[in-house]
Amino acid sequence: MKIINHTVISGSKGRSLSLAVLLIVCLLPFWTGEYYMQVFTIAFYYVILASSWNLLAGYAGQFSLAHHAFAAIGGYTSALLVANFGFPIWLGILAAPLSSALMGFILGMLCLRMRAIYLAIATWAFAESVRITISMTYEITRGDLGLAVPKLFMGKGQGVPYYYLFLGLAAATALMTIFIMRSKMGYYLRAIRNDEMVARVMGINTTRWKILAFILSSGTAGIAGAFYGHYNGLLTPVMVDFNEMAFIVIMVVIGGIRSIAGPVIGAILIQILTETFREFGEIRMVVFALAVIAIARLYNEGAMGVVRQVLQWITRRKQAREY
Amino acid sequence: MIYSLMAMGITFIYGIMRIINWSMGEFYMIGGYLQYIIITHFLGVENWYLGVILSMVGVFLLGMVVQGLLIKPMFEGTVENRMEYATIVTIALSVLFMNMAVIGAGPFIYSPPGYYHSTRIITLPISGTRFVAFIGTIVLLFLFYLFLKKTWWGRAFQGAAQNRMGIQTAGIDVFRLDQIAFGIGVALAAAAGALLAPEFFVHPKCGSIATMKGFEIIVIGGLGSIPGVLCAGLLLGLIESLGAVFLDPSFRDVYGFLFLLAILAIKPTGLFEERERVA
Amino acid sequence: MEKKNNELLRTENIIKDFGSLRAVDNLSLRLEEGEIRGLIGPNGSGKTTLVNLITGVYRPTSGGVYFSGRRIDRLPLDNITHEGIMRTFQVARMFADMSVLDNMLIPAFTQGTSKREARHRAQELLDFCLLGKLSNEPARNLSGGQTMLLQIVRGFMRQPLKLYLLDEPFAGVHPAIKDIIIETIQKMNREEGVTFLIVSHELTTIHRLCSQISVLHGGKVISEGTMKEVANDPRVIDSYLGG
Repeated sequence: MKIINHTVISGSKGRSLSLAVLLIVCLLPFWTGEYYMQVFTIAFYYVILASSWNLLAGYAGQFSLAHHAFAAIGGYTSALLVANFGFPIWLGILAAPLSSALMGFILGMLCLRMRAIYLAIATWAFAESVRITISMTYEITRGDLGLAVPKLFMGKGQGVPYYYLFLGLAAATALMTIFIMRSKMGYYLRAIRNDEMVARVMGINTTRWKILAFILSSGTAGIAGAFYGHYNGLLTPVMVDFNEMAFIVIMVVIGGIRSIAGPVIGAILIQILTETFREFGEIRMVVFALAVIAIARLYNEGAMGVVRQVLQWITRRKQAREY
Repeated sequence: MIYSLMAMGITFIYGIMRIINWSMGEFYMIGGYLQYIIITHFLGVENWYLGVILSMVGVFLLGMVVQGLLIKPMFEGTVENRMEYATIVTIALSVLFMNMAVIGAGPFIYSPPGYYHSTRIITLPISGTRFVAFIGTIVLLFLFYLFLKKTWWGRAFQGAAQNRMGIQTAGIDVFRLDQIAFGIGVALAAAAGALLAPEFFVHPKCGSIATMKGFEIIVIGGLGSIPGVLCAGLLLGLIESLGAVFLDPSFRDVYGFLFLLAILAIKPTGLFEERERVA
Repeated sequence: MEKKNNELLRTENIIKDFGSLRAVDNLSLRLEEGEIRGLIGPNGSGKTTLVNLITGVYRPTSGGVYFSGRRIDRLPLDNITHEGIMRTFQVARMFADMSVLDNMLIPAFTQGTSKREARHRAQELLDFCLLGKLSNEPARNLSGGQTMLLQIVRGFMRQPLKLYLLDEPFAGVHPAIKDIIIETIQKMNREEGVTFLIVSHELTTIHRLCSQISVLHGGKVISEGTMKEVANDPRVIDSYLGG
């Protein structure tokens, strides 16, 4: 199986394709109703989570199982500050990534010397702690009953501003990932994933870059969580259930781990499928799980791999015709 | 406590294959379902211990199949990043099994009849099932210990855990060993599920708590250490019980978890370090 | 070649214990600037351990490593390259999922070299050792000998490279590639003044490349000198035959 090394679809093909997709997505609200706008809004939320997790786990190789917890931390931070302490919403949203990035920093520091297996367990334990904490401190967080969160936009045209908000955030996250992976940091992260010891021998300060990856990824998740709270109007500990983390993993793997567009496609695709086939219930997850297993086992690159093959095929056809 | 069986399974699989099986809880659940079916439809509750054994066998076979299809390829060189692959696949497996349980058996909660009448340990009342499950756990752990130390297979497993390449040169088929080890590991989880079925009931999500407790014990006791599992299992049970008795019983699970966090912060590799594999 | 007579590297009575095993036993070694030194010795004599001690993978149990007079054995691993020291591994270690070219870029990036400059030098080096055509291949697609070559050539991205420690660079390598490696070493030594310490079992190649040889046995240096001197040293003969 041929492995592509740098996983951005670079060049004009990639750019035009991305722009086309972006255009369609920007115009979507004019074609669809409220329902599908909501579906896409949530999809964009997951795009943010999937992309930021891919940065840490896919590219940097730090397979963290705590990503959903950072979203929850961000969400609850903003919600509590706004609902219980009367902070203005924008301040709450500003505080969210600060708290989630701080927790990410701490977790990263604790996990620095851990081997991959222990990292998975430690991050899992961290996420479970967050879940338990939120449930247990129900006097403050309202626990399983759910915390009511003041909404960001009031008034008519309910779905539209949220749609573009999350679209913007998702696009920003994707751009951030592109920027990082094209920079020296991107090289360092990939090197760390490939062989951390050799990376150090080559002069990479693996500590600094791993921590930075943790901070960026958890901070981004925190922002997403905060906006989600102010969109949904309600936060519950369900968002920090292990199922949510499994969901993120599924999206990234199906979309294509270690690619920029993979998490984007994966998140949108899975979210659309989940909603469209709602009446099929559990079968959806069975199908997704099987798809993940099949992809991990047979075709590592996921949906992005298919996209890339198609584009290559198109290029080759074009070249053949030119002779 | 009974969850030591979970932890034992996780540690054993880790010791041989150096992977973490995140779907252990789901094998626990399957064990529970099998037990329920067996004792309510076939053998009757008097033969509950037979049911446990049969559930274990069933899950053992299932485990071998799963291992052959999914885990073995990791070692045949067709998969690049092992740890990532194992984590992804076992997480997917857990989602798969949980949802298949809902599809197959519905979102209902099944409660098999209790195994034994309520008794008392010293002055503390204890449910019959828990008492019997505890005994069953001790028996199984003891048998497992004997298996490891006394039988040829057991020593082969010990060898594999210490020096994978070495035992290959001794002519042992490591892949076969892997498959059986995985089967045994998940069978232990199934045993826990079967033993605790009347106590905690059988439903698609019953595996999650088991996974959690199993990992708690692993973190406290140390991954890859058998004595660690035993100690940590007892310790966890003790801490939870003491906490429930002397502090607030509704926070029972939290005490154990707090202890886990303390261990993670102080000695992340657990109370008993794993022995480094030589080759 | 100008004899500079400047000490570049010195290990002073270093001891390395692994539990009860003493891998390196009061080892004192001295390298001059511009040397190509061979390091030979039977298996288990401590050669790789010495390389690991010099490059910061291990901390000495006692004793010190001095580079241009400065003590370096306390430095964190990722700071060693900043001193101008690089090393290769016995089993070639690559960033397997990254392209050959990207592998080359890393040591230059950590120095602060710009992408363009780094790319240029990388391609130059790759072309010189005939790997140029493979620059966009993922490193995992290279043959064993090619990965060793890449590993070696990667080190030269660091400028200035003062000291290069090569651990068994010729083991299992195709003779044609071996020649390229030898040529590269000689060229870098000649043109850029790189000092080499080469661990190897291949005595003919060592003889061809190295002016001075150190022989290790049981974690100690038992003999030093030219190939001829060392080959005739009874202690050396004993160590190889007696073990």
